[in-house]
Amino acid sequence: MRETVLEILTEIRGDIDFENETKLIDDNILASLDIVAIVGEFNDEFDVEISVEDLVPENFNSVDAMVKLIETAQE
Amino acid sequence: MAFTSLNFLIFALATVILYYIIPVNFRWVVLLAASYAFYLISSPKTFVFVLLTTVITYLGGLYIGNCNAGHKAYMDEHKAEMSREEKKAAKAASQSRKRKMVALILILNFGVLAVLKYFRYYLQAAGIFDAGELLIPLGISFYTFQSAAYIFDLYRNKIEPDRNIAKFALFTAFFPQIIQGPISRHDQLAHQLYEGHRFDYSNLTRGAQLILWGFFKKLVIADRVAILCSEVFDNYTEYTGGAVFVALLFYTIQIYADFSGGIDIARGVAQCMGIEMTHNFMRPYFSHNLSEFWNRWHISLSHWCRDYIFYPVAMSKFFGKLGKSLRNVFGDRIGKLFPVIVAQYCTFITIGLWHGAEFKYVAYGLYNGTVIVLGLLCEPLLKAAMEKLHIKAESKAWKLFQIIRTFFIVVCGRIFPKAASFGVAISMFFSMFRLNHGVPFSETVMSLGLTGADFLIILVCCIIWFAVSLIQEKDMRLNGGDGNKGFRQMLDEKPLPLRWAILLAAFALILSLGIYGPGYDAAAFIYRGF
Repeated sequence: MRETVLEILTEIRGDIDFENETKLIDDNILASLDIVAIVGEFNDEFDVEISVEDLVPENFNSVDAMVKLIETAQE
Repeated sequence: MAFTSLNFLIFALATVILYYIIPVNFRWVVLLAASYAFYLISSPKTFVFVLLTTVITYLGGLYIGNCNAGHKAYMDEHKAEMSREEKKAAKAASQSRKRKMVALILILNFGVLAVLKYFRYYLQAAGIFDAGELLIPLGISFYTFQSAAYIFDLYRNKIEPDRNIAKFALFTAFFPQIIQGPISRHDQLAHQLYEGHRFDYSNLTRGAQLILWGFFKKLVIADRVAILCSEVFDNYTEYTGGAVFVALLFYTIQIYADFSGGIDIARGVAQCMGIEMTHNFMRPYFSHNLSEFWNRWHISLSHWCRDYIFYPVAMSKFFGKLGKSLRNVFGDRIGKLFPVIVAQYCTFITIGLWHGAEFKYVAYGLYNGTVIVLGLLCEPLLKAAMEKLHIKAESKAWKLFQIIRTFFIVVCGRIFPKAASFGVAISMFFSMFRLNHGVPFSETVMSLGLTGADFLIILVCCIIWFAVSLIQEKDMRLNGGDGNKGFRQMLDEKPLPLRWAILLAAFALILSLGIYGPGYDAAAFIYRGF
């Protein structure tokens, strides 16, 4: 799953080093437009329903946090 | 009581002294007493509206919090024996109860805001009440939006409700932020207000420095450039060409110096008591595009709109489905962008309306929304053009071009909120392209109310401000975060005598170069009116 998440993220923002960034939201690296695109792709790809309630910085600050979010949404 | 008045300084100083005299556990009581005293002194006739919003939001918040707790307790007990559908149904029932309460609170709070700020003249015209009898409550937009954020966050189960109404009253009416924000979030500010902070010399000096910096921007820069802006905007029929452009450029400086100066004073006063309020500005004129600008300008309002309007609209099932059906007609890209475009317009119309009910504010929102939407739609074209022209997106020249381009987009947009009406804004915009034949440009500019010395002061002060901003920007790039500590950190590392020399020089500069109106009371802050 991690590989697919990385692929999606790189497709949306190729200019970011997602492997090493851990403050994607806190440091304003990802914009709100990116978040909407990322969530849309996650929902389609992993058949989950990530909602507005899940949009907190902790869930999008790093690749691992996003993987964890998808796993929780799949439960 | 204006931030720049001597009365406010005495009031703030007395509050800080009292805050540290009273035992730690009761320090929040000092803040509440000071906040209510501040409101009663500044706007006694409208105090009842703050109380009303406080009580409505507090009670509604308790109800939503109890719904959250009840649902959690039920799930903890029955989760194991429930199917997925049953869990979904239980959650939906709880959400439905909460949603009804959220709707009720919003209707009541925004209803008060709508009647007092937006529909007063229509209601007066209909003979329902005399608008002249009712003043607009001080800071109503700020505390209404802040209360709404509290309710939304409770609905989303992100925070726990306040169970002490006096403490919640402090959160709603904390005096440094009530006039012009920032619009704080409960999880960021409330606990800082409620817990007492022990005296810390560093907090006091850092707070005082921030207040000084705020005064510098407001009194030396904003109120000076305001003279030229008022001359041109108040007598717009008399000016064309360069004079209008200079006025617009100066207004871009004025609004930033005025608003961010006020925020610095508010944040500085809070910091003296160890309270860190959220940032509202992050060097907005260094933005590479308009989206980034709105992420750096009036951040607390932009983020409010992002979290409670943009995301819910852009991620709503309705617009998502509509976007999918549009993919067949307009293609994949437009279909995917459709919910985002709708959300952008909703966001910027709200930002426009936040400033006032007049159409010029809606136009301001539409202008910003349209520039961003056009940027999104034209992105592939721009990428193709850059490839053809061999422009590297990472090159310094391109980035500088982006900053200058964004700055001028912002400058042009400023004409809508500043001009007397939408019609005046359009007429002034086109008058910029009509040359003022006969009178040399320099002569026109020198007749707009400022002397040569004033222009020199503005130039030097803007250079100082720019240099500080560059240091902060560099700090942000190197250390992450918002970079706002960059300059003060640098100052802290200097030897004590030099540090004090800089601070005393700044103090003398403000005292000698500040613009004071009649009775030595500076001009009112622009955002106080919103």
